[in-house]
Amino acid sequence: MTDDAVPRRRFLLGAGLAGTAIATGLTEPVEAQQQPATPQPAVPAAQDTEPFVTLTALEAAFITAAVDTLIPPDELSPSGSDCGVAIFIDRQLGSAWGGGAKMYRAGPFLKGKPEQGYQLPLTPREYFAAGIAAANAWSRKTYGNEFDRLAAADRVSVLKAMEDGKAQFENFDARGFFAQLLSITQVGFFADPIYGSNRDKVGWKLLGFPGLPATYADKIDAYRDKRYVADPQSIADFS
Amino acid sequence: MATRLKDVDAVVVGMGFCGAILSRELTKAGLNVVGLERGVDRTPAEEFTLTRLRDELRYVVRLELMQDNSIDTITFRNTPDELALPIRRFGAFLPGEGVGGTGIHWGALHWRFLPTDFRIKSVLTEKYGAKAIP
Repeated sequence: MTDDAVPRRRFLLGAGLAGTAIATGLTEPVEAQQQPATPQPAVPAAQDTEPFVTLTALEAAFITAAVDTLIPPDELSPSGSDCGVAIFIDRQLGSAWGGGAKMYRAGPFLKGKPEQGYQLPLTPREYFAAGIAAANAWSRKTYGNEFDRLAAADRVSVLKAMEDGKAQFENFDARGFFAQLLSITQVGFFADPIYGSNRDKVGWKLLGFPGLPATYADKIDAYRDKRYVADPQSIADFS
Repeated sequence: MATRLKDVDAVVVGMGFCGAILSRELTKAGLNVVGLERGVDRTPAEEFTLTRLRDELRYVVRLELMQDNSIDTITFRNTPDELALPIRRFGAFLPGEGVGGTGIHWGALHWRFLPTDFRIKSVLTEKYGAKAIP
């Protein structure tokens, strides 16, 4: 298993901010090769004590395992779920957005070219329900168990197979599902903490993103050619 | 049953930049004008306060100020032989809604012209040859 945390992190940071992130000098992980060989409990007992309100227990286990595979705990941050990303996804899928608000949901429902965008009748909530069920079915068939019950290395393999288009789900686009899973994980990792994730602004600190102030005209002279580092401030800090 | 409203001199459909300027000119000329706009009513003091405005998930990712595709959308295709399909959520381009139109979500970015912009035909000819320009 050659997978390690940092390339995955760089990939995760690829949400238009990669240059900034790389420039901060991400260090090589010391323990990256230490993948546990035994199955991990899907839901960490640690800080994640908030209840899921939208996802079923099976779905929550999948999402938790997925975000912890995309964002493993290391020197850069706690695990995805410990940063609140699983709770974020739960809340987002339960929001108006998750229910398909502001989305054109009438027919025709035809398979379009990729550049014609999303063409399924499913709301984001329904899409994730179907995607998780399809991924678990494939995981059972290929690895003998649900995704969240696989060893960490196998979970990485499942996500890679989805990403590379090698996993063929029954009646569901595995690659497209991976893209959506990665996207909502990225959004959760970097969203304002008022949405339940990015706890302790860990995603913002990783990037050096100062958060809300966003007005720097008075700092141009003082920081010319120098890096501006500030303690990030979220919406809650001003409320 | 249609309701017959009082006649006005002009009805302007769309209260974005163009509709608003046009309406102002018409009212300055003494005409009575009604402006129509789609979308929710927004109160600047409620909607555009500082902390709320910086909510990137709400505005940048979930596109709070943009047209509601559950009400209306367009279909599109890239070539004439393709079947046009509906855009279910806008992404590549973002029509706004509400009084102000694009004016309320416009970032006011104006890039300075580059030196080459003032001699673009010469630059293209030098780089790609005269035949590159149709």
